[in-house]
Amino acid sequence: MDSKLGLIQQSFNSRYSQWVREALDELPDNFTITDPSIPGHPIVFASRNFLKILGYSQEEVIGQNGNIFQGPKTNRRTVMEIREAIREERGVQVSLVNYRKDGTPFWMLFHMSPVFGKEDGRVIHFVAVQVPITRRQRRNGGVSLSDDASGLNEIMFGSCRKEVDTNSVLELGRVLSLNSSSNVLDIEETCEASDFEQQRAVNAFNNILSVLTHYSESTGRLVCGKRCSAPGVGYISSSLNISLGRIKQSFVLIDPHLPGLPIVYASDAFLKLTGYDRHEILGLNFAVLNGADTDTSSLHQINESIQTEQACTVRILSYRKDQSSFWNCLHLSPVRNASGKIAYFVGVQIDEECKNTDRHGLSPEMRQLSTVGAVKVAVRSLSMAAGSSKS
Amino acid sequence: MVSVKWLEDKSFRAKNGKFKQLEHSCSFLQGMHFPIYCFGSQSLEEDISFEGISCIAEEEQNMLDAVLLSQWEDRMLKDLFQYDVTTSEIKVITGKMKFLSQLNEGQRPDHQSKSEGNTLHEINPLVFDCMKHPEELLFCLASSKKAKSELTSSASVPGSAILVIINVTPVEYGHVYLVPCASNKLYSILDARSIEISTRLAAEFNNQSFRLFYNCYRPNCSAVYFEAFYLPHPLPVELQPVSTFFGSGRRGIQICSIIDYPIKTLSFKTTHNLKILAAAISEICFHLDEKNVQYNLMISDSGKRIFLFLQKTCAASRAISAWECGGYFLFADRYEFDQMTEAAMLNRLSSFSLDDYDFEAVKQLCCSIASKFDV
Repeated sequence: MDSKLGLIQQSFNSRYSQWVREALDELPDNFTITDPSIPGHPIVFASRNFLKILGYSQEEVIGQNGNIFQGPKTNRRTVMEIREAIREERGVQVSLVNYRKDGTPFWMLFHMSPVFGKEDGRVIHFVAVQVPITRRQRRNGGVSLSDDASGLNEIMFGSCRKEVDTNSVLELGRVLSLNSSSNVLDIEETCEASDFEQQRAVNAFNNILSVLTHYSESTGRLVCGKRCSAPGVGYISSSLNISLGRIKQSFVLIDPHLPGLPIVYASDAFLKLTGYDRHEILGLNFAVLNGADTDTSSLHQINESIQTEQACTVRILSYRKDQSSFWNCLHLSPVRNASGKIAYFVGVQIDEECKNTDRHGLSPEMRQLSTVGAVKVAVRSLSMAAGSSKS
Repeated sequence: MVSVKWLEDKSFRAKNGKFKQLEHSCSFLQGMHFPIYCFGSQSLEEDISFEGISCIAEEEQNMLDAVLLSQWEDRMLKDLFQYDVTTSEIKVITGKMKFLSQLNEGQRPDHQSKSEGNTLHEINPLVFDCMKHPEELLFCLASSKKAKSELTSSASVPGSAILVIINVTPVEYGHVYLVPCASNKLYSILDARSIEISTRLAAEFNNQSFRLFYNCYRPNCSAVYFEAFYLPHPLPVELQPVSTFFGSGRRGIQICSIIDYPIKTLSFKTTHNLKILAAAISEICFHLDEKNVQYNLMISDSGKRIFLFLQKTCAASRAISAWECGGYFLFADRYEFDQMTEAAMLNRLSSFSLDDYDFEAVKQLCCSIASKFDV
């Protein structure tokens, strides 16, 4: 967890100068900023007003995924729309039911947009602005809403407005929990935001973007709201990063199309196993793990596996950054994208020292193969959307 | 291609046996050992509020997911499949629907037993010969008294379990048959329990890419089974707008119709009790069966949404698969794959769809059944 908090700190500090948090907190809007390159796609910043409205403290929110605010009444199709936008690295504006910490649901307009690195075109962060919706409209006429339920909703959204005035979260919480316990709030499928609310969300995003841009100037690592340059070779998209981040085993991805067969992704468990930092290992050849006593015939086997595009398993002596060695049961497998072409080779390591069956009954070999499978599923979604030009 | 071994055990009592279990026996599995994945009691057996399940963060790779992936990948390495499905190309068809199509040359007639158009009967029904190919059975799912789920690496198959068997001609990575059996018998009708277990299974997988499918067309009245595989992309039907026409009851059953979609489709979800929803759906399916309406089910979004596709009444063999209803098309032929347009796909789906009049009747049927359960 500490390392994750470290990554979260770094996510902001490496990109923006010192006072960015204060400047963002001065904005009146509700918003969160997430980093898709960190496993779990966590929230790395939450605005003061956002925390106030949702009833969470900063510590409870930072490091969590945005889905902690969703609940049973959150429209699943909308969640999928947001997920699609993340996958395609584009903006999205939808109405969504979120839940406060005390469990009360409320509608808000969710406006999310990526922020890109100017120099390499990578997605650095996603900014998600949330505007509470105060006026409700029905849609398609197909929804039957009892008078009781409408009444409750009126009270609920009325309270929402009141909350802005009084800033009393506690009181709001009490009012809302009273309501929600008396009956199930019948929240319908859709609730459209007004033009005013939509514009408010756009303005808020622009303000946030200009703060981020301004504070990135002094670090020399500029961010911008539009992708200015195509991502370079070896680029791992946000969505792939998010999928891969879920896999807890030690593994790396190698890009066979680049000279020197560099490592383009390394999992947290790999970094822990080998002692390298992510920025030290990315771009290096897999041979970085070899040392004086590494058997050349095993290396030959690995090379042959890449040449012939076949999977292989080898037992090889590998070296950590501190030059200590370990017996590595390495499994290497080609991984294909949506067009059926080989996109990467995945190399999954097992340290022979810790070859224990885990508490669920999964052997290390099973975990190794499940990692290969999970990577194959994740990469299978690539190159279909990634390459196409979205307006 | 091997035959369905267990069909030999049954003496075609389909006529009067429609409402009870057919004599499909899976007792032939006795004496053989397979990995057994035991659901923790809290996830499968107990009638806990489904609300609890629906909010699990999808942060870490799930154990059941890991078991299936590892077993499937293991069979890939052992070369049990007729082809490597990841070599087949998938593309999005230009247009507003974003239909997906896959060029799967493994689905060619010469690989498959029979062909006529792209309809279901060309895709082989469940074929599994446990004597010749026991390795095609990856593992079994069973419930246990323990609180937490766990894997036993080798044990005999419990009387009530779900058999997880590979499809050697997969549509996508991880394609398996999920075959429920109770008291060593396979199911002959889609009952509430098999719908509930399948939905809980989807929740236990907790993987957005993993979807379960049910096709009502089963040649030779073979056993009830679901199919499942990983599909990292959302299916077009999942992204379509919906209109809720039932959702006022206390048990939290919500039924929507999908708007602007070429094949008539309903979606179900519950905020409260999965058991009741499953019972309602199985009764709906039972009535559809009676009325000879072809239908398919798809369980997506980790068990949170269940889609019901309604096809028009016609010769049973002329029905399309659940994934095709969802907007995922398979082509065995490169030329067809290249030429396919959205208009052609829309046409194809609507040609299989139930008409407006019957659809209204089905909606009314759903309402009356759901309100019976939803009190």
